[in-house]
Amino acid sequence: MKSLYITLLCSALCSTLSYGQGKFLTKQGYTSFFSSSPIEDIKADNNQVLSIIDTSTGTIAISILMKSFMFEKSLMQEHFNENYVESDTYPKATFKGQILNFETLDQNKQTTTIKGAITIHGVTKNIEIKAMMLQSEKSIALKGKFPIKVADFDIKIPSVVINNIAEIVEVSFELDHQLYTK
Amino acid sequence: MARQTRIITIITVLTISMIGALGYMLFFDKPHIDISDSLPNITLSSNILIHDFESNENKANKKYLEQIIQVTGTITEISNTKNKGIVTLSNEDSLGSIMCHLSPLENKKIKALKKGQNITIKGLCTGYLMDVILIKCSIVD
Repeated sequence: MKSLYITLLCSALCSTLSYGQGKFLTKQGYTSFFSSSPIEDIKADNNQVLSIIDTSTGTIAISILMKSFMFEKSLMQEHFNENYVESDTYPKATFKGQILNFETLDQNKQTTTIKGAITIHGVTKNIEIKAMMLQSEKSIALKGKFPIKVADFDIKIPSVVINNIAEIVEVSFELDHQLYTK
Repeated sequence: MARQTRIITIITVLTISMIGALGYMLFFDKPHIDISDSLPNITLSSNILIHDFESNENKANKKYLEQIIQVTGTITEISNTKNKGIVTLSNEDSLGSIMCHLSPLENKKIKALKKGQNITIKGLCTGYLMDVILIKCSIVD
């Protein structure tokens, strides 16, 4: 009886291990945001995005370091970190979601819908994002853009610069996940 | 008298605008820090840096974020996709590692690097995801 338990336990362990093959990951994903106003355009890039897709469930989890956003002007970067997103208190932005109908998607390039919750500046909002997806046996690439309302995330823009920063900021992303084999 | 006032006005306006221009150059247009040209704020081994983030991320964030860190360790992975070089440092007895994203200028040096080699790299710490992230890195030794 005891040996049966051990066998069952081992097989359960083995099956979870083999499920591990269904994880696709990138540690160098790209995301940027773009704010356009009559006074100036502001853009910031981040090349250190972590994103993990679990193909057994179609779930996706993304983590972004706020201090990894690079601006053209260092003063903008300083204001962004210190005054707007307060990256000392909220160092990360996250997204947890589901790629809808993931099991039905094939290897053709196609538009997918990702539904989930995004957290920026400690505020969580539900969101639906359209993304172009291209998958193979060893990789899953996702690319797209979506708008974000700055006020939704409790980010206060001082009235002095209110005309310099758009109310709605466009977020772009490019995530080239590779099969995780470790 | 009127002429004197005009001269004074002109000089005052010129001085103010010059101070303004200088202030703009120094303050609003101040350049990003050049990591390769700056002295590190913290110098340590890769093991300690990884351990600090793994044991207490919040505490490590306070200590290391936005600091220029010079770290010495063993290269376990080298990648260079889309001309963005990344050197990964880790040690055998821990899961985590340090991902050093090289600055574009340093990227050409990546071909000379080998896995298993000891290296000292200097970069700006932006935080901890699965690994400790250093960006704008330059190779010291």
